[in-house]
Amino acid sequence: MSNLHNVAQYILLVILLGLASVAAAQDSASGDHVRVRWLAPESFVAGETETIGFYFEVDPEWHVYWRNAGDSGAAPRFDIASDTAAVGEIQWPFPVRLPIEHLTNLGYKGNVAYLFEVTPAAGADTLSLKANLEWLVCRINCIPGFGSMRLERPVGPASSWNSGDRALRDRFAQRVPRPGAGSPWRAISLSESGGEKVRLTLEGPGQSPRVFPLDGELLTATEPALRTDGDRIHYTFERVPGSQRPETAGFVATDGERAWRFDAIPFGAASSAPTDGQATALWWLLLAAFAGGAVLNLMPCVFPVLSIKLFGLINTGTDTAGRLREGLVYSAGVLVTFAALGGLLLALRAGGAAVGWGFQLQSAPVVLALILLFWLMALSFSGVFEFGHRLMNIAGSSRGGSFATGVLAVFVAAPCTGPFMGAALGAAAVLPSASAMALFLGLGAGLAAPFVLLCASPALLKRLPAPGPWMDKFRQLLAFPLYATVIWLLWVLGRLLGDSGWLIGTLLLLAVVFALWLGRNFARAGRVAGYLLAVGALVAAFGALRSPESEPQLAQGEWQPYDKIAIERARADGRAVFIDYTAAWCITCQVNKKLVLDTPAAMKLFADHDVLLVRADWTNHDSEITRALAQLGRNSVPVYAWYAPGAEEPELLPQILQKRMIVALFDEKSTLQLAEDETP
Amino acid sequence: MNGRHLIRSLLLLLALPTLALAAAVPGEKAPDFSEVDAEGKTHSLADYQGEWLVLEWFNQGCPYVQKHYGSGNMQALQKKYTAEDINWLTVISSAKGKQGYLEPAQALAEAETHKLNASAPFLLDPDGSMGRAYGAKTTPHMFIINPQGEVVYAGAIDNNDSANPAVIPDSENYVAAALDASLSGEAIDVASSRAYGCSVKY
Repeated sequence: MSNLHNVAQYILLVILLGLASVAAAQDSASGDHVRVRWLAPESFVAGETETIGFYFEVDPEWHVYWRNAGDSGAAPRFDIASDTAAVGEIQWPFPVRLPIEHLTNLGYKGNVAYLFEVTPAAGADTLSLKANLEWLVCRINCIPGFGSMRLERPVGPASSWNSGDRALRDRFAQRVPRPGAGSPWRAISLSESGGEKVRLTLEGPGQSPRVFPLDGELLTATEPALRTDGDRIHYTFERVPGSQRPETAGFVATDGERAWRFDAIPFGAASSAPTDGQATALWWLLLAAFAGGAVLNLMPCVFPVLSIKLFGLINTGTDTAGRLREGLVYSAGVLVTFAALGGLLLALRAGGAAVGWGFQLQSAPVVLALILLFWLMALSFSGVFEFGHRLMNIAGSSRGGSFATGVLAVFVAAPCTGPFMGAALGAAAVLPSASAMALFLGLGAGLAAPFVLLCASPALLKRLPAPGPWMDKFRQLLAFPLYATVIWLLWVLGRLLGDSGWLIGTLLLLAVVFALWLGRNFARAGRVAGYLLAVGALVAAFGALRSPESEPQLAQGEWQPYDKIAIERARADGRAVFIDYTAAWCITCQVNKKLVLDTPAAMKLFADHDVLLVRADWTNHDSEITRALAQLGRNSVPVYAWYAPGAEEPELLPQILQKRMIVALFDEKSTLQLAEDETP
Repeated sequence: MNGRHLIRSLLLLLALPTLALAAAVPGEKAPDFSEVDAEGKTHSLADYQGEWLVLEWFNQGCPYVQKHYGSGNMQALQKKYTAEDINWLTVISSAKGKQGYLEPAQALAEAETHKLNASAPFLLDPDGSMGRAYGAKTTPHMFIINPQGEVVYAGAIDNNDSANPAVIPDSENYVAAALDASLSGEAIDVASSRAYGCSVKY
């Protein structure tokens, strides 16, 4: 009997529960794998705006979606009507990327609340809302769901929330994107990158935010390729194939806790930021910098300086420990100088000045000072005067001397851009400051390494011949590269200042030699006269340094001076363009010019194919050419840019040119032919 | 070994993944295909040279496909445009064992129950080669190819990604608009859109 009673009670309970759920159907909605209920207070306050929402409880592994659902899927739809309240737009918490098979969707892992604002109408004592909902819930298969929900709540003097619901509401409200103006990031640019990509650049500190496109018609939901460059973060999004480009596009950026909305970023011109292909890994650049630095030891303008130093070390007969100390002091000199130059470059870059490597040779006083220095060293080597004692004391045995040698080595090495240096320096000019400085130090370490090695290893040093009279002859021999350097620098000065450069430079050299002669031959009075003459000549010479009024960029033969508009026009006309970025002080440039570019064979090829030849002369500081180089990701010369007819992007030729490379521009078959001919 | 040659080979290698992700892009040549229909007849792009061709991706289990078939919307479009000598192929790219996969006999039966009005009973692409070549993401994903073999439309069937058939009368049908514009010699207003629906089950 009692059993039967229990059963009846149970049945009654089930029926009651069923009735209750029918009655409550107004207050919630459900479908396969989804239950939706209100997140709303028990009572509203008259005239006060409250944020409420729909809370979607979703089965594990099933998802509902963001406003832009991504490659498939669909955002839920809310149709809310009320006579007794003003209802705001749906606020969408920021999503996550949900990869499903070959697609990416934008939605939520787990439960989510879609929020909106509601304000009770004036005078209403209840607030009622009716909402029609449609949603899509997917794991791999998708199931649409529909539902109707009604909300009836009193409007009273105070709002009262179920504390759990309010916490839920607050949690998701926190994730709703706020206006981008208050975000840690600033939108810098938005540009098309080829036909299939769109690049967004943000600027800001710290971790790169995740970014979601608002417009699924324009961009796919695939995770964008990310690249950072200092404080700038470049996102490259995949475009929906064939989509039309709107005027603006919107994005949401999130740090994982909060989010910001960038509603309408206008499309700008393609930015000149280097393309991803050039964003080479830092370690590779550092390696290249080190190798480039090591190669610099063999450059004609560095080798003599190092020889002097090594020469001094052997001469003084210091032991291994002493030599190692010298080597390390030398390295310190090199590194400090590289760091200083790097710091200067970074400071100038920060200041917006368009400068490039080798810029110290764009300054006439620096060039003149170098001429004087090398001239004195050469004279001393030749035995004209015993500057030796002092120079050797300075650049010789003392620690300051090793340090000075290091400084000198860097200064004269800089313009001898080794084949590896171009890319490393170009990267340094666009890299974040810390990485750029690391590159500079890498170059310095490369330059210093062979010398330190030689100092540290007695075995290697023993291979060097013992000191003897041959060293005098060797020293005299070393004078000749120095004389050659003087001639080269004089020529640079001539290019900088015109004919007067030659005159000022050579007159100063003459005055210095005369002063030396006076000082050596006429005891005290002579020495005083010598000093006076030297000082007078120096003042006069440096005072006379003036740039020529105009800088005639002479068209040399077929070569046109750099003119951006002419280049653009030629490219628009479908003409091929070859640009030789060069400078008088760049030896590699001059060699390439003489051996390859200005040869009749190359000129004929260029003429036959109607190529616009441009010589961008960077001998003097020219900000337009500096900018053009930066766009190519370079910061030093030589650079050879080849625009094939109709080509969007230039092809950059190697820094050391060969004739067959020019031939190859016009006929790929002949490259193969030549290459085969060359193989023995 | 020629250095340029090596570089070119390397570039080619790098380009391979991009080729694998090729898609039908409005304004560009349509990717080739050659697939067998439920009746065993082979259809390839070349067969439709000089003619208009509509491609539709299908999965009978997808609620969005059901939206357009249950309402008769898709069949009406098929009927209307095939009557104007436009070819219409409905493709199933579901892999064997995945939702929507049909054996030829089942496909014939489905064509019957769905009152399919396409030019051929379902084109069967179980290896997904055609779907991947076109970059078909969803069912229904729609493509229109002109007589020159160029894609002129790629994307959704209309502008309303609701699964509710009730919204169809108020939706802007992109496929119909593109076909009507093309047939009357006008420019296509919307040539691309986000394809909505269920993911293709490759």
